[in-house]
Amino acid sequence: MKAYLSAFRMRWKMEVQYRGAVVGGVACQVLFGLILVALYRALYRGRPQSMPLSAITTYVWLQQAFFRMLLSSDPELMDKIRTGGIAYDLCRPLQLYGYYYVRIMAQKMVGSLLRAIPMLAFAALLPEGWGISLPASWPALAVSVCGVALGLLCVSALENISMGFTMRTLDFRGVMALMNLVMTTLSGNILPLTLFPDAWQKVITLLPYAQLLDTPIRLYTGEYALARAPGALAVQAAWTVLLILMGMLLWQRNQRRLIVQGG
Amino acid sequence: MHPPFAARLRSTPIIYRVTGGLSIFFGKPLTEEEKYGKLFFLALSLLLNLYGGTMSYIAVENLCKTFTVRKKREKGKLLREKTVIQALDSVSFSIERGELVGYIGPNGAGKSTTVKILSGILTPDGGSALVGGRVPWKERKAHVRHIGVVFGQRSQLWWDVPIVDSFSLLKDIYRIPEADYKKRLDRLTGALGLEELLRTPLRLLSLGQRMRAELCGSLLHGPELLFLDEPTIGLDAVSKLALRDFLQKENREKGTTILLTTHDMEDIAALCPRVMVLGHGRKLFDGALPDLLSRYDTERVMTVRCDALPPLPEGCRAQREGDAYKIVYHPDENRTADLISLLHQSVPIRELTVQGQNVDHLIAAMYREMDL
Repeated sequence: MKAYLSAFRMRWKMEVQYRGAVVGGVACQVLFGLILVALYRALYRGRPQSMPLSAITTYVWLQQAFFRMLLSSDPELMDKIRTGGIAYDLCRPLQLYGYYYVRIMAQKMVGSLLRAIPMLAFAALLPEGWGISLPASWPALAVSVCGVALGLLCVSALENISMGFTMRTLDFRGVMALMNLVMTTLSGNILPLTLFPDAWQKVITLLPYAQLLDTPIRLYTGEYALARAPGALAVQAAWTVLLILMGMLLWQRNQRRLIVQGG
Repeated sequence: MHPPFAARLRSTPIIYRVTGGLSIFFGKPLTEEEKYGKLFFLALSLLLNLYGGTMSYIAVENLCKTFTVRKKREKGKLLREKTVIQALDSVSFSIERGELVGYIGPNGAGKSTTVKILSGILTPDGGSALVGGRVPWKERKAHVRHIGVVFGQRSQLWWDVPIVDSFSLLKDIYRIPEADYKKRLDRLTGALGLEELLRTPLRLLSLGQRMRAELCGSLLHGPELLFLDEPTIGLDAVSKLALRDFLQKENREKGTTILLTTHDMEDIAALCPRVMVLGHGRKLFDGALPDLLSRYDTERVMTVRCDALPPLPEGCRAQREGDAYKIVYHPDENRTADLISLLHQSVPIRELTVQGQNVDHLIAAMYREMDL
């Protein structure tokens, strides 16, 4: 157990080394947020939607703030697979799935927290209708924080699965590009899931991608009432467990048919 | 017998055997069946222990491994061509505890594949291997705790963080007790000259420094067996010599068994009393390096600095090079001492040296002859 904690801490340390990347990321995501908010304001001026504008801007800012959590971005792990550096990890007395899981989680958690805090502070300063509004209630804030934590566990499991497939396809760029497209679309990062047609939403909100940020954001804005919170969290937890089991199975199979690339 | 079961029996601690033996007679009353069962287990484990004592530390038999390589599709053909490469073709050998063995062969001979199988990374297609009573790929986690590996062209340390942090991660991974860790780290950093570099991120180290750090990382958990896959690749002369010294000490003082894969024949000559040659996935030679070389070591080169040469006996070829002559001869046809006395009697010699062939040339000749 200590080994996994230690690996988590290590990845943490590494993430903190790239301070320039944090500043760049924040600037980029702030710009994205502003453009999207301006876009929705223009859209609403023409034809107001069922969702209030302030709920949409809140959704956009929360998505942008935690963008790093969604994006698969551990080039080091992918490189290990591509060049065969994974050989070293295979000769450790560790469960490889767990070792990579904590690394991915640490990277996502630290990376997104470092960016989310300044971004949310910035968004809170913007005027009503531009920035982020307060949570529906204090309990709503509490459950949405739980929701983000579950979303983090879930997205780490999801990324571990796509890494497992990377081991089979040998080069990660194609799979990653596809996965990122599916991810940003179905998780509500490009277009808030709340704006999808109602019939679509019934399906999309049950997919694993909606469990990452969409559910916690809806809990935050009060779109999901408190009474629905246990159910929503249960769906998140169920996906997380399922994805972890699938990932473990995949890694186990991979290990058996493994080839180390690059001599 | 199924090897993992055998290993478990053999590794039953002595103290358990003693208490187990006593408890049969003095412990709480047992039924006849339990009594005989316990006695049988004890007898079996003792027997296996005796058998294990006679067994080699590493025992490899008929190990096979194939890889499938898909090549780019040729023009006009529908499907890509698949070739099956026999990386290991029934390789067998055994290594005793405390040996330092060199493992050589041309690129692609299957050396690294052997190392990867023995370190539990790859699963072979056929054959068996036991390392310290364990099957590496079946009991991977238990096995890797006792081994250290250095892949010369890869890195196990984290690129962006100080190397001491990577070491402390390894400490947690191998569950090394704090006191042991301190002691070993002190010893290793001292021996490898790393004290000054511990707080430097890996990316700022030179290749030689990095390799020393890698070696330190692989030895922190005090492995009884060390696999070195081209550890001196790209190192300068000073670093190489330091590394060799260190390995020799580690082998002699700690009794670490070392399997060294390299293309640097100087490494082998300096370190390994025993060398195995692999080619096309087959073991071609297993023995002492001088024995291997003497088969191919035929010619000698005598360099003489003098003004002119006397007529030389048959079988000698002479060539002028600068202000010296190079005489190439066969030591069986013309004895070196005879040649020297002939030269000494006929011309004033300013300087004379005799050399065997360069080890690399010999190995190249050997590979050519073995058709590798």
